[in-house]
Amino acid sequence: MQRRLTLLLAVLALAVVGLLPLVAMVVTSVFVSGKLTLAIYTKLLSNPLQYWIALGHSLTLATLSAVCATPLGVALGLLFGKTDLPFRRTLTVLLGIPLLLPPYVLAICWFNLLASGGLLAQGAPVQLAGLLSHALYGLPGCWWVMVSALAPAVMILTLVSLHAIDPRLEEAGRLVARWPVVLYRITLPLVLPGILFGGLLVFLLTLGEVGVPVFLRYPVYAVETLTQFSAFYDFGAATAAAMPLLLVTLLMLTLERRFLRAKVYNLRPSTPGRRMLRVPLGRWRIPAFLSVSLLGAVMVVLPIAALVVASLSPFAYWEAWRQAASSLGRSLVLAATGATLLMLLGFFCGYLIRTRTMRLWRALDTLTLLLFTLPGTVIGMGLIALWNRPGTAFVYASAAMVILAYLAQYIALTSRITVATLFNVPQSLEEAAQIAGAPWLARIRHIVVPVGLPGLVGGWLIGFIFCMRDLGASMLVYPPGQETLSVRILTLMANGTPSLISALCVMLVAVALSALGLLGLFFRTAAPRR
Amino acid sequence: MGLLLLVVIVAIAGMVWTASRRNGNVVVVYVSEDQVFSEPILKDFERDSGMRVLAVYDTEETKSAGVVNRLIAEKANPQADVYWANEPIRAEVLRQQGVSSVYRSPSAEGIPDQFREPHGYWTGFSARARMLIVANGSVDKPGSVLAYTDPRFRGKTVIANPLFGTTTAHMAALFTVWGDERANAFLDAMRRNDVHLASSNGDSADQVAAGNFEFALVDSDDVYNRRKQGRPVEGIYPDQEGGGLGCFIVPNAVLLVKDSPHPQAGKKLIDYLLSPATEKKLANSDAAQIPLHPGVETPVDIRRLETLKVMSVDYAQVAAKMQAIQPLLKDWAGR
Repeated sequence: MQRRLTLLLAVLALAVVGLLPLVAMVVTSVFVSGKLTLAIYTKLLSNPLQYWIALGHSLTLATLSAVCATPLGVALGLLFGKTDLPFRRTLTVLLGIPLLLPPYVLAICWFNLLASGGLLAQGAPVQLAGLLSHALYGLPGCWWVMVSALAPAVMILTLVSLHAIDPRLEEAGRLVARWPVVLYRITLPLVLPGILFGGLLVFLLTLGEVGVPVFLRYPVYAVETLTQFSAFYDFGAATAAAMPLLLVTLLMLTLERRFLRAKVYNLRPSTPGRRMLRVPLGRWRIPAFLSVSLLGAVMVVLPIAALVVASLSPFAYWEAWRQAASSLGRSLVLAATGATLLMLLGFFCGYLIRTRTMRLWRALDTLTLLLFTLPGTVIGMGLIALWNRPGTAFVYASAAMVILAYLAQYIALTSRITVATLFNVPQSLEEAAQIAGAPWLARIRHIVVPVGLPGLVGGWLIGFIFCMRDLGASMLVYPPGQETLSVRILTLMANGTPSLISALCVMLVAVALSALGLLGLFFRTAAPRR
Repeated sequence: MGLLLLVVIVAIAGMVWTASRRNGNVVVVYVSEDQVFSEPILKDFERDSGMRVLAVYDTEETKSAGVVNRLIAEKANPQADVYWANEPIRAEVLRQQGVSSVYRSPSAEGIPDQFREPHGYWTGFSARARMLIVANGSVDKPGSVLAYTDPRFRGKTVIANPLFGTTTAHMAALFTVWGDERANAFLDAMRRNDVHLASSNGDSADQVAAGNFEFALVDSDDVYNRRKQGRPVEGIYPDQEGGGLGCFIVPNAVLLVKDSPHPQAGKKLIDYLLSPATEKKLANSDAAQIPLHPGVETPVDIRRLETLKVMSVDYAQVAAKMQAIQPLLKDWAGR
């Protein structure tokens, strides 16, 4: 009873936060001048060939990005989480930095580096500089920016999943096989849900990305939704334009479910105090370290260096602080609050999906992913339609709208991370406690959460990062005078000095890293010794 | 559990606090003019009036749906008092959507009728001119927008995406002045002359400054800022000769939101924005905008309105035409 009630409340919360705004927007797309009509959709289907070409471009970019970012992220996660690679903690932080920035800002960093007149062009041979400058635009440039922006997400998800593995399974495997076989036959299958979600994340985020393709001149379908807003002020058409993206999401979800359905996860409980087994790299230790360092230098150091160099002008940081100190503080509070509520709601949604306690678990999982794929502008408009009423003015006029935007857009992250985490929390633990008479919430609090804590903390971190850098729905619903740092960076970009914008971006990265570092310190000192 | 309770309490307290900031001596303004230019003006208003200004700023249209959509979405329960548009087309769209109300500010005295909505739904001030940015040292310099179709410049020109911003308005203006047939022919000729598309006016200006193209059609502040950065470019006001089309002028526009929560405060802000003092500040800032009030002191390198041949347009017609030609521009941009 306690379980059903709590999970039902979570479902209702998600319905209010996510489903109702979506319904509000769908209604605007099928009701024109008060009449029910599918005219907007039939017009969409009869669109000229170039729209379908743009959809093809979007699918190509998303697929290429996912195909490259996923194995890269998994490889990095394995190296940092399972081996004795030197300086792996430092390298984890370094390679995670691109995730802290909106992809559009990364595109600007690469533009500052590679465009004709950019930093590299000034030192490199002319032909090489020309080649790099040419490659920056179109599919190659977009692919590279999205891979460098999103591979860290897969890396973090892999790390989180690795921490949840019972080391005794690998120990047993090591008795009869070498490490490569153990990794391939035991470790990777156990972290597969996390990896699959990482790949899905990269695909969906790239599918919905607008800023990078527009800046690097690659025509993609997501711009269609934006154009309907920016050029036509047509909310119904913008919602209809988002539908093909949702159909693609449904297809990907179906494929993922079919793939995971064949896998069985039936684990023995993990023993407290056991540390994760590490693979000794032996003679590969230094080459691996050098390779990862080179990757870090290319993927992270170069573009961030371009950002830092661009920010190096007298008083840039002082001016950035003066302009954005309040936005910075606000961003931290909103991101922390958003991440906490995302993890709270996401935990119960993920629990429902994993345990299939209610028959609507499939619908819940589908809804969260559809919301994740939906352009932020559509969600934002839906939130305005729902909450901008005299009776709910106390909500609409407040920063709660930003939190609602975060919850609607990113609930899939925390619910799916919870699902992946719970795959490695044996249900027998809960069952044993249930037999002993422990109420459900007590079982959750004293068994599920402690055992799954690394995954849940990882989920909070991912939620925090995405909230901190959000530029979608929150841009439409933040209260006047209460913009976040990411929004402020974007609004100042129009004719703001490059040094000021770069300084603001460096601040965003530095503050987010510091906040995450403090959190990491807190959990290291406060967590029970294993 | 304690941490959770703390989060909930902080969240509720934050909610109540942010909502309460709308009470009292405040004015809420949504702004499409670049924040780096508009924010100092609004801060000055705060200082001079004692009112608190709560602002929502816009981004470039290629990055978000924009504050105009927010205003339209909030129409049933407006949150803003004033909208400061960076072009009159957006103000016209809002008038057509029933978002604005009539207010004839005494500060508008002296602003030419061409830059005011006849019934008082919006008023223009501090304008940009659409100009040609040309790389220094160019042998052939364009003197007209028709240079985009000149074979001498084939493959050497760039223009911002005509689906967004002032380029859209400029195209619509050409359609209203030339008629559909001639304007369509112009677009086709541009394509045949291999014009390149950039993501924005700023991008176009940067491309010319980098020497990638001979010229681009941009806003006057794009030219001014690149010159201030020391980039090797100059600006040309197009079509100034006798019989020429004239230069398309894009004024800012300000309107009072219908049923706004603080209408009196909104009117005070509008009066402030339309004043010659504000126009002088915007002329002397990096915005480099042309005052519409006669006799306002401007820097040496900003032409006064009365010295320019201005394209004669009806902004209401331009707004209507802009929406009508969107499918055509979409098709043209996609080719």
